[in-house]
Amino acid sequence: MNRTVTASKPWKQRTSNDYLLVIATSTLPMLVSYVALKSGILSPMLAGLLFIVSQIVAGGVAGLIHRGKRGVGDGILVSLIGFSLATIGIIMGSVLWSVLYKGLEALKFQFLIQNNEYITPTSPLGYGGIGHALLGTIIIVSIATLISLPIGIATAVYITEVRGRSKVIVQSLVQAMSGVPSVVAGLFIYATFIISGVSAYNGFMGALAYSILMLPTVARTAEEVLRLVPDDLRSAALALGASRARVVSMVVLPTAKAGLVTATLLGIARVIGETAPLVFTIFGSARTNLNPFSDGMAALPLYIFNGVRQPFAPEQARAYSAALVLLILVLIVFSLARFLTSDRKRK
Amino acid sequence: MTINSTESSVFQVPKTKGTGSITTDAVMESVGMYVWFGPRLVLADVNLKFPANSVTALIGPSGCGKSTFIRTLNRMHELIPSAALAGQVLFEGNDIYGPTVNPVDVRLRIGMVFQKPNPFPAMTIEENVLSGLRLAKIKNEKPAELVEKSLTQAGLWNEVKDRLGNTAGSLSGGQQQRLCIARSLAVNPNVLLMDEPCSALDPGSTLRVEETIRELSEFMTVVIVTHNMQQAQRVAQFTAFFLSEDNNPGYVVEHGPTVDVFANPIDTRTSDYVNGRFG
Repeated sequence: MNRTVTASKPWKQRTSNDYLLVIATSTLPMLVSYVALKSGILSPMLAGLLFIVSQIVAGGVAGLIHRGKRGVGDGILVSLIGFSLATIGIIMGSVLWSVLYKGLEALKFQFLIQNNEYITPTSPLGYGGIGHALLGTIIIVSIATLISLPIGIATAVYITEVRGRSKVIVQSLVQAMSGVPSVVAGLFIYATFIISGVSAYNGFMGALAYSILMLPTVARTAEEVLRLVPDDLRSAALALGASRARVVSMVVLPTAKAGLVTATLLGIARVIGETAPLVFTIFGSARTNLNPFSDGMAALPLYIFNGVRQPFAPEQARAYSAALVLLILVLIVFSLARFLTSDRKRK
Repeated sequence: MTINSTESSVFQVPKTKGTGSITTDAVMESVGMYVWFGPRLVLADVNLKFPANSVTALIGPSGCGKSTFIRTLNRMHELIPSAALAGQVLFEGNDIYGPTVNPVDVRLRIGMVFQKPNPFPAMTIEENVLSGLRLAKIKNEKPAELVEKSLTQAGLWNEVKDRLGNTAGSLSGGQQQRLCIARSLAVNPNVLLMDEPCSALDPGSTLRVEETIRELSEFMTVVIVTHNMQQAQRVAQFTAFFLSEDNNPGYVVEHGPTVDVFANPIDTRTSDYVNGRFG
């Protein structure tokens, strides 16, 4: 009486008709508009429009064939989502592609560790590197994070937990700050500290400018994540005899830990590629300077900005490589955060 | 009839009926308690005594103010921005709303278990049990013993003793609620307030929690809000019936030993309610 039972996923089974339908709906509109374009009936603009419209119609028809009247809306929606996906994919893909394509040329191990001290824009590839700019970016962004993270979280705690009298004012200030153009942040530091003679150009000034940009992003994201902490937990902690401060430090913040890491990352991602705040503050440098409090410092965005404006091919290639390195750096930061916030140790 | 804070005296609160046989010394007592949310009076003239080491059930239809009332007993009510009240809650003879009383101290002595299980998700089972101590900065020399004792009292020890390091989220709903009870017990309160602690639980877990309540009442005063008449009869020595009619504020219709309230209610509305004829 042994019955053989095989596990299957009936909800995932597709018939050949289903595949045919998908292929037809995704190729027919393209074919039609291509023919219309090539034969000269339609201008490229109109052909593009025809493609979009016919694709939506095809989606609707496919839905109608597949599931009847109820399927029409679904089909159209799937088409629209497909379009959005394709648009984003093409834009992001071409950015990535151009950076990869142009950036791989100069990217060698030596490029990552050497600096630019004895290099001119015309020096051939294989000499010099961005070690100084890489370190500079890491130092400046770290300092900016150290400054804006505590202030940002404190702001969020004030808005969501303390709910003080000036809550609305703080909220609108943070909102207004997030609209500050990055060049203004740089100019502000320049005018306040450098023109007035308080400080010379150095990495710390750049970090200050960065933290002005980071703060609203960190504060607003942190505010959102703290709001997600259920009120039940606050009540539970208060009912156990906790003071407000203990509730925040032991229950609310730990519960929102993953979200706060995300807030930090969004802050870092917001500034790491910013050039304008650095132009007026860190001056730039060709040699490796690890001291953020004295002398000019290099940073990746500034290096890229200066490099791509040179009329010399080797320098442009180096700038593209630096852009690629910057992309990879962001990728590493994000993966690290994913790794840190995933609950590995507990089951 | 609308009532606001300035004309609360307009509403004639009917006198609470009861057998009056609660003669033992009360560990906690609410005296002339009126409660407002903004301009709306939701509870009027609640006078209840909670004798030491007893279980009192608060019953009544939804919206009659039972949960609101229980939250006034450990100063959780004031956390709602629009909240206001008049009257006193005497705990061991002192008003917990006195000008020099710190609400944090009140909540340490008068613990609370909520309707929905709310263990701290970022903590392990063990950390959850000890969280009250850590939150209130109380030192304990033998935390492991306290964890075992509290979890045993809450009837959860045998189920979780091998996985104290797991997160609280890995427990079932019923286990989470018992964990919340263990957490409240770990700070050793004198009074435990329970706001419909079993409403999210299956019958099996409910019986476990009720057993726990009975055991606790040997050394602790318990006040429990419940919608379940059988539960009130099973666990409570005393019962208070709350009612709010026609948008009037809620008040206590009848209060007395559970046996009397259920078997020989004085007020017809009480007998209608406990016999399931309305509510």
